[in-house]
Order: sequence, then structure tokens, then C-alpha cells
Amino acid sequence: MTWRAVIVVAVAAVALFWLVTALANWELAVFNWLGMPNPKVRLGLDLQGGIHLVLQVQTDDALKAEIDDLSQRLVSRAKDDGITLGAVTVDPEALRFTVAVPANVDRDALNEVIDATLPEFSVSRGAEQWTFTLPAGIANNLREMAIRQALETIRNRVDQFGVSEPIIQRQGMTSNRILVQLPGVDDPARVKDLIGKTAFLEFQEVVAGPAADRESLLRAAGGMIPPDAEVVTGERTDIEGNVIGKDYYLLKRASIVTGRDLRTARRSQDDFNQPNVLFELVPASADKFADYTGSHIGTHMAIVLDNNVSSAPRINDRIRESGVIEGSFTIQEAEDLALVLRAGALPASITYLEERTVGPSLGLDSIQRGWKTALLSLIVVSLFMVVYYRMSGVNAVVALILNLVIIMAVMAGVGATLTLPGIAGLVLTIGMAVDANVLIFERIREELAVGKTVRSAIEAGFARAFSAIVDSNVTTLIAALFLFQFGTGPVKGFAVTLSIGLFTSVYTAVFVSLTIFMVFVLRKQRVQTLSI
Amino acid sequence: MSIRIIGDTNIPFLSYRTIAISGSVVAILIGVAFQLLGPGLKLGIDFQGGIQVTLKFRDTPDLAQIRSVLSDLETGEPSLQRYGEAEKNEILIKGQNPGGAEGDLARPIIERLQAALNADLGQALDLNLRGVQELTDELAAGNPEGINGDVEILRAHYEPMARAVLDYRRTAGSGIFHSLDELDRIEGLSDAARAFLKGRAAVGAFALVGTDSVGPTVGKDLRRQAMMAIVFALFGMLIYIWIRFQLPYAIGAVVALIHDVLIALAGLAVTGREVNLPEIAALLTLVGYSVNDTVVIFDRVRENLKMQRGEQLDKVMDLSINQTLSRTIITSGTVLLTVVALYLFGGDVINTFAFVLLVGVIAGCYSTVFIASPVALWINALLGSRKARRRSKRRR
Repeated sequence: MTWRAVIVVAVAAVALFWLVTALANWELAVFNWLGMPNPKVRLGLDLQGGIHLVLQVQTDDALKAEIDDLSQRLVSRAKDDGITLGAVTVDPEALRFTVAVPANVDRDALNEVIDATLPEFSVSRGAEQWTFTLPAGIANNLREMAIRQALETIRNRVDQFGVSEPIIQRQGMTSNRILVQLPGVDDPARVKDLIGKTAFLEFQEVVAGPAADRESLLRAAGGMIPPDAEVVTGERTDIEGNVIGKDYYLLKRASIVTGRDLRTARRSQDDFNQPNVLFELVPASADKFADYTGSHIGTHMAIVLDNNVSSAPRINDRIRESGVIEGSFTIQEAEDLALVLRAGALPASITYLEERTVGPSLGLDSIQRGWKTALLSLIVVSLFMVVYYRMSGVNAVVALILNLVIIMAVMAGVGATLTLPGIAGLVLTIGMAVDANVLIFERIREELAVGKTVRSAIEAGFARAFSAIVDSNVTTLIAALFLFQFGTGPVKGFAVTLSIGLFTSVYTAVFVSLTIFMVFVLRKQRVQTLSI
Repeated sequence: MSIRIIGDTNIPFLSYRTIAISGSVVAILIGVAFQLLGPGLKLGIDFQGGIQVTLKFRDTPDLAQIRSVLSDLETGEPSLQRYGEAEKNEILIKGQNPGGAEGDLARPIIERLQAALNADLGQALDLNLRGVQELTDELAAGNPEGINGDVEILRAHYEPMARAVLDYRRTAGSGIFHSLDELDRIEGLSDAARAFLKGRAAVGAFALVGTDSVGPTVGKDLRRQAMMAIVFALFGMLIYIWIRFQLPYAIGAVVALIHDVLIALAGLAVTGREVNLPEIAALLTLVGYSVNDTVVIFDRVRENLKMQRGEQLDKVMDLSINQTLSRTIITSGTVLLTVVALYLFGGDVINTFAFVLLVGVIAGCYSTVFIASPVALWINALLGSRKARRRSKRRR
């Protein structure tokens, strides 16, 4: 009996200590020594506000870009070796591209180039058309890499934005979906832009333009688009930054440098206080950039962000490692552009499949309501138990309150997240936890009714009710497990609270309750009556 | 003497089984009729996809104006309803997603309302829609205190002020600023910053309480997962009770559970409440909880069978139900107390969740007595007679 009482008191003390530490937000060295996490009340997004996003990485985009890139690389490498290839057609769905090979091309020399540049492709060599197909296995690897890279990039961006305890993870092992949860974030629109922007930056040579429409651009370029160039548009703005139209540019496909060459970027402003973005290149790229700008003074260079020309300044001087991106940015836009440039580009565009934002005031309201409801339930159930079972009811109420303390302590101790349905789960636990007490007490009454002594009635009550208590808790636990498997954040929180409550309620209703009976009733030499 | 809700009873429950089962079948059929002929079960945004935007307005919102602003959205005209208590000035805007488009569907709603209701703000900073980071950026760019240093130093200096402003909006302002004068009451703000914000900022007509936008892919996935979760949970119960008792009891218990789930769904269909994720959570909880009473009765049946060998099973069942009756009523009663508390005081988010449990717990208490045992008895007789027949065949 003594050891039982010691266990009950010790567990209660530890639970109380955990709970107080969590509620008071203490950081205690004790937990470090023990190698345990510091107890902490973690509120779910629905209670503290924040953003929940499920986004899909358009991996096919990444594949298409990759195949595009590789076909361009083949053409330019071949050119370096003195081989001029014809038109390239890319069929991204079939994972292949076709190159026209003129009759005068030395086949052996071309094969050497292919072996050196595109060893992973399988090549079917026609008379005039060579088709390059990417094997499915390699395509899947590329898709996989795109998703990993997207995860990494989003993580970088969120880190830079300064969100505490973000969750950024893949949904399932093989899907192309990413789950992003940002607690406490209150600028939903901005964060979505920040995460969703591909942010692929390229510096490209301007062949012709700007022109007001496509036709006049083509006329300026001599009637047709050269194979190594492309048409890109940009927004034309007035002095105040309002969009007043579109500019058409003809740009060299091959970029001079890209966002990958950036070392850093930050918001700055020009002499007229117009926000802009200052960037610096990594040393190797700086050399390349310096060579190019040095030899192209007087020409224009387009700064292209996500296939959109943000500006096309004239090169006035040799530029080495740093430069300025100008556009009609607001402070916000310049700040965000610098951030995404620092964090890197997404390998593919993304689509939002699900997004939920919770304002902080809604959560605050929910918490207050939740606690009021919990308190009310506790009072009503306790009153019922005390009125119906008298002193034994008090025993049950003590067990119930201890149960609630232990549930919350365990949640804080293991870092489980409390959600609004979780609070509802706690309230339900109040009603369900006394089930075991009721089962035992009713049994004790029955045993007393058939004339057993108080001592043997209590012993029989606990012993006989035990299997039913275990059964009923296991069944609820089975349901809770499926709930956890199925649910999203808030529902998972409910499943966790419910499950913890099941385990702790068996402990409090059976072990603690019996101990209380032992200490206050059975310890006496002669027990005549039981208040039940 | 103890207080008792009911004394010793001797009710022949099993003899009411025909009436009881007919009653349940009728209730379920009403639900089915609603499903097939009427509007049916309303699937909410989680399962159907769509948009839901909750806004808090500075002044009493003009529903007609908002409706006309949103009348020609690409995603169709959304429905508007007041949310919560009237003095909160909150409105829930619900939009469908008929084209099944993925992407940011909530944004056009907010942008339109901004253009229509906040046109007078011009380039001013809307304190009701901006967040901490944006406010910090503005303060750092304006640098009203004239601090020396680069952007990072300025941001670090002004961020606590931005936070103070938004903490005020969240708590004292209960979600929205009514006028710029409220800035005077914020303690963490320096005088220079306050003057700067008064010149630069404005209070817009509304603040964002929450948005949900669920695309068709996620909706479909969640629908499938919800079905699977319930089916697997029922299957799990079947297996567990089969292991602990015998197959007839397992079937009886699971039929009672299916009954409870169907009654709860019928309740949702008849009252026209929406089914979302929390409601499925409630159904699953119901599956786990409602079986408890049944298990207790079966446990007692097993015990009584050991003590009274040779007694007819239906007699033993009636005895066991009577013996555990007060316990069945009391435990369902305590849970019902908490569920009623949730239903009445838990707030809008929890209300339908609590409703499912409310209907389900009552149905569960009833089905424990009137459905589970009769079905177990019937299956037992069915299996028993088949066994007997097989035995007699072998004898021949």
C-alpha cells in the first residue's frame, strides 16, 4: 500500500512540475541533463493563427526545362566543334527531343559530342532526324530531385522570412506534394507570393527590342526569330509605377549569368528613393560577367525574372561582381525579390492545392471558449459524481482532476500540439474518464448488495470491472489510431489528446482510485460502511 | 442508503427487439430518403473543395454592397452569411469551385473587396490587413527615429514596435482597428513611430479572420480517406471483439455501431448541417466510444454464462442488460453532459462536431441495449443451427 501511495504522489508531483514549467514558459537546465525536451505548450495553427498550405510541385515543368536545357547544350557543344545542327523540337510529354541533322554533318564527330554531353539519353538515329529520349528511370530521378530541391528552396525562403517552428515536409514518401505550416504568420498573401514565386533570374543579351508588339519586334529583327533567340515580354510602366502596357524583346536564349550565380542580394534604393535590389555574384561568375559586359559596352542586357523582363539597362561599363536590378518595385516587392533571390529559385512552378489561414484573433476566441467549456464540464460531472457516489465520488473527482493534469503534462512533455478539436477531446475525456469509475462503483454496490464486506466488495469491484475497462479503452484507442492516420493537423491533435487521455484515465481510475480507497478506507482495522 | 437513478430492474429488453429494430430502420430510412430524394448530406469545403473566407468588419457590414462587389467572380456568386454574434460584425463568404480549378481562389475575393471598400485608403498602409513583417519593413524604410545602420539593424529595431501594434489589434482591439487614435493606447510604440504611422497608415474596412481554399484534388483525397478510416475502424472493432468474445457478439456490436453512424449521418442530413473533417473525427470517436457499453454488457453475459450453465442465452442477455443498466445510463449520461456543454458553449467551429456526438451518444446508448444483443443472439442462433445441421448431416 505504501509503495502505491508513493507512486501516486510521485507521478502527480512530476506531472504538476511539467505542467507548471510549460505554462510558465520556464527553460530549465534539468531537462537538458536528462536529455529530454523542455515541456512546452504547443498550440496548433487553429489556435495560434498561421498558414497551412499544401502545394504541388509541377515536376513536369522541371523535366521540360531540363530537356530544353540539354537540347540547347547539345546544339552549342556541337557548334563549338564546328558542327551546325538544324532545328530542335522538344516533346516534353514523351521525354524526348528531335534534332535535324543535315546531310553534311560528320556522324562520327557528332556521336562523340553526344557521348560527351548527353550520355544518359538513348538516341535513335534517322536519316535526317535524330531523336533523343530520356529513359523513364532517369526522368523519375529528375522529378525526385526537383521535389527535393523545391523543399530545400521553400525551407530557405521561410527561414529567411523568420518564422519560428515552421513545418515544411513532403506529404507521403512518394508524392509531389509539399505541406507547409507556418504558425503565427499573419501576412498570408505575402507569404504565399514568397513561397510560390519561381524566382528564376537570368541575364540575357538583347537582340532586338523593346517594341510595342510582336510584329514590329519581328520587323526590327529582320523578319524571323533566329534559332538561338526567343521573344520575352516585360511590363511597361509610367513614372509612378502603374502598368501601362507590354514591351516585347528578342533575347538570346543562352543566359549570361543566372540566379544560381548570385552570392547575395538585398534591398536598396536609388538616388530618387526608388527601391531596387542590389546583388553580388560569386567570384567565378563575376569573371564571366566582367568579360561579357566589358566586351559589350553600349549594348543592352535584359534582366529576366520568371520569363518576364524586369528591366533592360544599357551596359555603360565593365561590371564585375555587383549590380542593381531596377524595376518599379514597392518596398515590399524589392524586399521580397531580394529574399527569394538569396534563397534560390524553385526548380519548377508550384500550384496551391489547399490553403488555410487562421487569423490570430479567431484562435484566441476559440481558446477562451474551449477552457470555459472544459471547466463547465468538469464542474457538472464532478457535481454529479459527488452527489451520486458521495465520498467515493470525491475519490473519482480527485482521480479525474489528476487525470487532466497528467494529460496536459504529457502533452507538454512530449511536445504534442494542442488544437481546437484537441480541447474538445479533453472535454470529452472528462466525460469518458469517469466511465471506469462508474463501472467499478456500480460493481462495488452490487457486491455490497449481495452482502459482501466492504473490503471484499471493493476488491471484487476493481478486479471484476478491470477486463471491461481494458476492453472499452482498447476499442476507443483503435478508433483513435485510424483517426490519427486519417486526419490533418487539427484532427490529429484531437486523436493525440484522446489517446493520451485513454491511457492516463486507466491509470487514474483504476490505480489511483484504488490507492485512495486503500489509504482512506481499507487501512482501518474494521470497515463497516462505505460511502458510495 | 445510496442514491439510485434506477433500482433493480427486470425488463425483458429482448422481447422489444422487433419494435426497436423497426424504429431504427425507419429513422435510418428517413435519412436515406433525405439522401436520395432531398438535398442529402451536405459535404463541406473539406470534402467538396471550395472557398471560405471569414472577415471582420470595422462597422456593421453592408451585405448588399458586398454581394454586388462579389457578384461576377469567375468562381460564381458566393453565398454570404453573418458569423457568430451580430456585434462581432463578422461575415462568412462561401464560394464554390465549379470549374474545379486549383490555386489561390480566396485572393480574388479579398482583392475585390479591398478595391471596393478600401478605395479611399490610396497608398496608405492598411493596419487591418498588414502583418508584422510588412509593418516592420515600412517602419524600417521610413525610419522615423532616424537610426543609423543598414536594413537589418533597422528591421531589428522596429520589429518589436510592429509586433506591439498587431498584438494590440489581436487582443485589445479584438481583431480590428477602428481608428488611428487607437495607436495612442499602444505602449510599445515610440512617439516618432506613432507619428509616422499616423501619417502613413490607415484603417481599412475589414480584417481577415480566416480563409480556407481547398482544391478538388485534396477534396477527393479527403473524401476517400474519410470513408476508409470509418470502414477500417469498424473492421478493427469487429476483429477485436471477435478475439475477445465470439463472432456473433462481434457482429452484433458492429451492427450497432453502423446503426449509430447511420443515425448520426441521418441527423446531419435532416438538419442540413455540413460535413467537414471534424465531423468525421466525431464519427470515428463515436465508433470507438459507443462500443464501450456494448462490451460491458457482453462482458457481463460471459460472466453470467459461466455461473449459470444451461440457462437460455436470451434469458442471460436480458439479465445482463438489466444488471448493467444503471451503469449504461450513467456513463452515457456523463459523456452526454460534456457533449451538451460542447454543443452549447464550444463555439461555431465545434458546434457540428458536438452535434454528431450528441446524436451518436444517444443512438449508441439505445443501440447497445436494443440492437447489439438481439443481433448477437440472432447470429448465434443462425450459426448454431447451421452447426447443428452440419453435425446431423455427418451423423447420417
